[in-house]
Amino acid sequence: MIVHQLLSGAGPHDAVTGQALAYRRRFDAWGWGGRDHAATADPRLGRAVRPLHALEAAPTDVLLLHYSAHAPGLAPLLKRPNPKALVFHNVTPARYFWDWDPITAVRCEVGREQLARFAPAVDLAVGVSAYNVAELEAAGARETAVVPILVEPARLGPPGPARAGAGPGPHLLFVGRLAPHKRQDELIRTLALLRAEHATDARLTLVGAPASAAYADGLRALADRLAPGAVTIEHGLSAPELADRYRAADAFVCLSEHEGFCVPLLEAFHFGVPVVARPAGGIAEVAGDAALLTEDADLAVVAELALAAATDAELRGELIARGRARLDEYEPAKVAAALRAALERVASGTWNATKPSGAPPS
Amino acid sequence: MKPEEAVERARAAAARRRAGGGYALDVEPGALAAGEPVTREQLLEWALIEPDPGLVRSTRRYGAPITWAKRGLVHVLRQYFTEAHAQQTRFNLHMVAAWTDLEARVAALEETAAERKPRPPA
Repeated sequence: MIVHQLLSGAGPHDAVTGQALAYRRRFDAWGWGGRDHAATADPRLGRAVRPLHALEAAPTDVLLLHYSAHAPGLAPLLKRPNPKALVFHNVTPARYFWDWDPITAVRCEVGREQLARFAPAVDLAVGVSAYNVAELEAAGARETAVVPILVEPARLGPPGPARAGAGPGPHLLFVGRLAPHKRQDELIRTLALLRAEHATDARLTLVGAPASAAYADGLRALADRLAPGAVTIEHGLSAPELADRYRAADAFVCLSEHEGFCVPLLEAFHFGVPVVARPAGGIAEVAGDAALLTEDADLAVVAELALAAATDAELRGELIARGRARLDEYEPAKVAAALRAALERVASGTWNATKPSGAPPS
Repeated sequence: MKPEEAVERARAAAARRRAGGGYALDVEPGALAAGEPVTREQLLEWALIEPDPGLVRSTRRYGAPITWAKRGLVHVLRQYFTEAHAQQTRFNLHMVAAWTDLEARVAALEETAAERKPRPPA
């Protein structure tokens, strides 16, 4: 079987590119052919990702489109006669970006609007979570399937020893792009409350590349006002460095308001770090019963939960055990099998056989 | 503590502390402010783009020949740049016109709403 993966943009630190390359490793292991192409590719990727104009696909080759924002270069491919699948990585609502990063806002806005053009035009639309699949169905997808993100947190390194009580103060961690919808500002406020009420030596580490320099500056200024010297903001970490941040954390706290999947939850589970999170988007689905989920807007409640997750031995033990069980659900071999089954059905035309009458031709 | 009890306990603990005067720190609630919004005057100024050819230069120590080559390229490609410039300017001016129209409509609506609002009894 031959599967060509098609991306709008590709870069060495881009999550979607990382997922496409992980897929390709699996395709190679299964003896499948095909190449990965992007409308724009960072030269650091070398020959791993080729230009879109170099795509050479026979009519029976499967085209697998990765959709995460406005993708003008991919639109013409919808006219090709090939069997087509689309992986939807979700698109952040533009409202979060207008004030900070208007170009990203435009890409997100157009990306959300054009999903209604892409979703019905493929044989199978894949969401990395049921939350994403619901959006695909709302956009007119004819056939859908959930295939979670292929996450291999063990690639970061082993969990290391249990940490509760080691070192000064509760140490909170969040990993994710510094972006308005991730609400790192709420995490800084939560830390300030925690320090004022319970632990003056509590700390917070935020790991993630800034969506815009202005937003990162705003977060740093807020941290300097509310919790001077207690917030560390960093990005560009190597895998061993990121693993060290997880090992050093007492609790992983995520107050993001929009997540299609949230890979760092599974990384926290792998490293045995208890999780407190807002159940936004796909978070509740991925976390299951292994995280303390709260919709409370009152950050005092979040601070109390973070403290409990960091210090209550019984609670920590239960959350860590549930996190490990949750990881089994997303075991890479299971996800790879679901991916393989979906793509084989696309290639064989099985999805077409179940198309409702009157559906537009693919 | 069991995970299922944690949220309720956290709510109770927060309420207890607050009743005792705790959680009084002002944490500047709300989304992070993104500074001053772009004014109409700024937008008008930016709409008419005028790239400075003097900015086309090499930043290398002995970059004079590269500067010369870059400026030569700009000159050779001036037909393309003029076209790109025209397309961008067309969009910018339509955007400013749309914004101006929107501002006028919002002002009119606000005025109408203010007139309809019943005045408090004297």
